[in-house]
Amino acid sequence: MSALAVSQTVPTVFDGIANTVAVVVLLLEFGMLRATLLRSQVRLYAGQSLAVSVLAAVVAYGRDVPELYALAVLSLLLKVVVVPLVVLALLRDAHAEIAGSGALGVANQVLVAIGVTAFGFFSVGVLRIHSSVLPTTALSLSVAVVLVAFVLMIMRRDVVSQAIGFFSLENGVSLASLVVAAGMPLILEVAFLFDLLVAVVVFGVLMRTHHRRTRSLSTETLDRLRG
Amino acid sequence: MTGLPLPFVQVLQVLTVVVGAPAVSGFIAWFEARLQGRRGPRILQPYFDLAKFFSKETLAPVGAGPFFRLAPVVSLACYLTVPMLIPVLTSYPLPLGYMGDILGGGLILAFASFVIAVAAAETGDSYAQLASSRAKTFAAITEPVMLLVVFAVALITTTDLPYVLGATVRSGPDQIVRPAHLLASAALFMVILYETGRIPVETHTGTTEFGMIETGRPFEHSGPDLALLHWGSAAKQLVLYVIFLNVFVAPWGMASTTHPLDVALAIPALLGKAALLGCAIAVLDNSFAKLRLFKITEFVSAALLLSVLAVFTLYLGGG
Repeated sequence: MSALAVSQTVPTVFDGIANTVAVVVLLLEFGMLRATLLRSQVRLYAGQSLAVSVLAAVVAYGRDVPELYALAVLSLLLKVVVVPLVVLALLRDAHAEIAGSGALGVANQVLVAIGVTAFGFFSVGVLRIHSSVLPTTALSLSVAVVLVAFVLMIMRRDVVSQAIGFFSLENGVSLASLVVAAGMPLILEVAFLFDLLVAVVVFGVLMRTHHRRTRSLSTETLDRLRG
Repeated sequence: MTGLPLPFVQVLQVLTVVVGAPAVSGFIAWFEARLQGRRGPRILQPYFDLAKFFSKETLAPVGAGPFFRLAPVVSLACYLTVPMLIPVLTSYPLPLGYMGDILGGGLILAFASFVIAVAAAETGDSYAQLASSRAKTFAAITEPVMLLVVFAVALITTTDLPYVLGATVRSGPDQIVRPAHLLASAALFMVILYETGRIPVETHTGTTEFGMIETGRPFEHSGPDLALLHWGSAAKQLVLYVIFLNVFVAPWGMASTTHPLDVALAIPALLGKAALLGCAIAVLDNSFAKLRLFKITEFVSAALLLSVLAVFTLYLGGG
């Protein structure tokens, strides 16, 4: 139970700011879970990527890791500008505005996601991973982001939400990589970013093909047999 | 120069709330009107309204019991008990300040709202009953949010006294940027939006009975009783603002001594802070649409999310 004991130490200002930015990343993930307009979902994704870039810059400044500035700028360009623009362009072609309803109501989805978040929080909390760069809370938060992204992909029944869920999952992973391996060689981080580009291309093709064949973005029609 | 006696400061806290509350309401109404390009009512308009209502006679529906007449007085008395427990003007605790903690204050506010609901149920008016039933339903789902906010406060300060949290927030920037504090404050703000009947939940000045929650309850009251209810809801709004400002977000500008000048300056400082918060709320009022009744659960679930995360981050030691 010692992992559940509340520590009375107050985090430093740097830790507090880093944790707050990480919490913002998680809250934006919840925002994506709640959003009904596809366009606002994409905007929230851009906001979340911005928060991750800001966190990278905060770590670069506070812990004196200059190569993270490069990572922050790269991920800003790619995830805040390029990816959302590509997805919005795809949406414009598809003429779909409103995401398909989820498998559960919004309030219930949030409750399920809170439960999943709790699982992620405490299962990482007992691992006692300590990082010299960021507080452990940020790691728990990043796992929670990944799990909520899974909930988003499972609950929503349209291709765009699932794609956005996948992209935001990558945000959670890059948050985790900031905690455990902030000193990771820049070339690896950049390789991750290009991985994301591949995913964008794949999901773009998926969205287009799906929309051409079923005339909608909803995946509900896929479980119907066709002769 | 000698300081003011503490009981006098304590009484002054209650007087500030009871006299200042209509002015804060009037200011918000005026500012909201300006935002919409209207000239708006005078800031002192609520006082004139109260004076008008007090000069009229009270009518009670046939069959209404004693609760109907008692409720306005009892609820106003409840709303004026809370300012004794919370830091309104001073940053140091006053003699009666330890009489109750945040939960105690919340309990008194809930009791006042319960008494009004009972009075509305006695009238037999379907709209008043509808409103009070809704108010109780949504109060039940906002209650867990309040409890979790109190838990977060208790985990931060190891007490649940409002004075201690205010002092903790004043102690340094590390206490302000910690996520638990920010999340709990945001959750409390959303609860306050609900409790004061502001826009994502309810149109404050609406006249459509079907959308009413808080404002629908005093339908059958008239004359001095209605004045007391209006005064009470203004006082409740100011009390909640004071809790939000002087305990959570901006516990600055309060008197730290019993010097008369310090205490006197604390009054305009408090009203100014409340007016600033009112401006923010008026801007929110103008930028969002009212939620449909069944969407209010989504609003509350967002507040619940914030408060749950506040407690989680505290348990992980990083809050």
